[in-house]
Amino acid sequence: MHEWSLLIFTLCMQAAIGGTVMLLIFYKKLSKLDPEQQFHVMKLPLVVIAGLSLIGLAASFTHLGSPENALNTIRHLGSSWMSREILVTGMFIAVACGAAGLAFIQKKVNVWLLAAGAVIGLFDIYCMGAIYYNTLVSGWNSINTYTSFYGTAFVLGPILIVSLLVPFLKAKNEELAQAFVKNAFYIALGGIAIQLIGVAIFGITAPEVNQIAGVNVMDALEGYQTTVAIRWMIEIIGIFFIGYLSIAMNKKIPIYFAYGALAVLIFAEGMSRYVFYVMGA
Amino acid sequence: MAQLGFYINNDYCTGCKACVVACKDKNDNEVGVNFRRVYEHSEGDYVERDHAVIQNIQTFFTSISCNHCENPKCVEGCPTGAMYKREEDGVVLVDHDKCVGCKYCVWNCPYGAPQYNEVLGKMTKCDFCIDLISAGENPACVGSCPMRAIEYGPIEELRAKYGNVSDIKGLPNSSITKPNLVITAHRNAK
Ligand code: SF4
Ligand code: SF4
Ligand code: SF4
Repeated sequence: MHEWSLLIFTLCMQAAIGGTVMLLIFYKKLSKLDPEQQFHVMKLPLVVIAGLSLIGLAASFTHLGSPENALNTIRHLGSSWMSREILVTGMFIAVACGAAGLAFIQKKVNVWLLAAGAVIGLFDIYCMGAIYYNTLVSGWNSINTYTSFYGTAFVLGPILIVSLLVPFLKAKNEELAQAFVKNAFYIALGGIAIQLIGVAIFGITAPEVNQIAGVNVMDALEGYQTTVAIRWMIEIIGIFFIGYLSIAMNKKIPIYFAYGALAVLIFAEGMSRYVFYVMGA
Repeated sequence: MAQLGFYINNDYCTGCKACVVACKDKNDNEVGVNFRRVYEHSEGDYVERDHAVIQNIQTFFTSISCNHCENPKCVEGCPTGAMYKREEDGVVLVDHDKCVGCKYCVWNCPYGAPQYNEVLGKMTKCDFCIDLISAGENPACVGSCPMRAIEYGPIEELRAKYGNVSDIKGLPNSSITKPNLVITAHRNAK
């Protein structure tokens, strides 16, 4: 596996996009607070989302052999999914940074930018999936590619946002904080369910080999069963953390629980993405 | 000029790799960068009959470069338009002024033709030795083969002479990119 740049790029972008969707979902409830307080609790997540998308951008540049030609990559929108993805990713990053910047200038969050970011971002994940789905690499041309990418967004996004929001919110509005953790828990469960559907489809479709000297995905992944098993174990532990937090928060559970869950889930999603890129190596 | 293509006499090929070396030499390619490659395909095993162990192995070699395909998936996926199929003879080339070195074409070619050059940070591949051809010479691989197993020319002429086979054992399905390739299959490759 030598696609570390792409691994970091896809994880950061999907986490940022999932996070944007979550902020939009939480926005309405947060508008119960007065605008200044609302800005105060949302500013950290906004900055982190913008930061993640910039880290993703930087990582994607390290994948290129001739980054000075980067602007050429949107010249073939007519047939290349990679061109389309690069354009849409650029739009998402612009909106994410714009939303964070504007919030600091106006001291309030612009919900329309948030909504635009969520819509562009969700389409961007589709484009990312299409890049791999349309190659000839055995295993990538499966629905699993899309479900894995959307799943990552819906697992990492919610956990990222609660671990950034809740510490600030807890002091101001305990009840709201509790509700957010619960929401995040359910959405992350949904993200895992999406991934499991993809894994099931992957398992029942016979993989094709369409490249000379190409390796059948089942052979490529031989030897990675343990990695996959460990990944699922870690993922379940992470989700369990959040689930526990969502029912027991008022019992003075330290908020580090959420950070722990986030770290564990990032690791699990990273392992899953590692195995994904093994197929193409 | 008409679409150019290669003819491979799979039945004659001994797997000596003179074509690979001639190509590497002409293009001054580093270790690991091979515009033409020879793939070995082996099947079968030793079988025991009475007191003898009998060899029952079928092997053949396939020499492949770029097939300058009719539907080049490499061109379709390339984000920059660097990979292109030129009008006059259908040769597929990489424009290094445009290439960003994303390597996406590697995942889109069925035949392993795009070969990444780490030093240049660009994709490189078989250009049909268009410089040699326009000087009236043979492409390096064609000229080097001791078995005369590689020919080139307008694909229609090659097809009229040798038929339409471009699917043999071990090669990806030709319907994916419609390669400009004609093969006389080895008896074990049919
Ligand atoms: S053989 Fe591969 S690189 Fe050559 S034209 Fe066909 S798809 Fe493109
Ligand atoms: S490496 Fe170059 S030729 Fe290949 S897809 Fe990327 S930009 Fe196109
Ligand atoms: S030079 Fe001729 S015989 Fe030798 S490997 Fe190439 S095609 Fe086969």
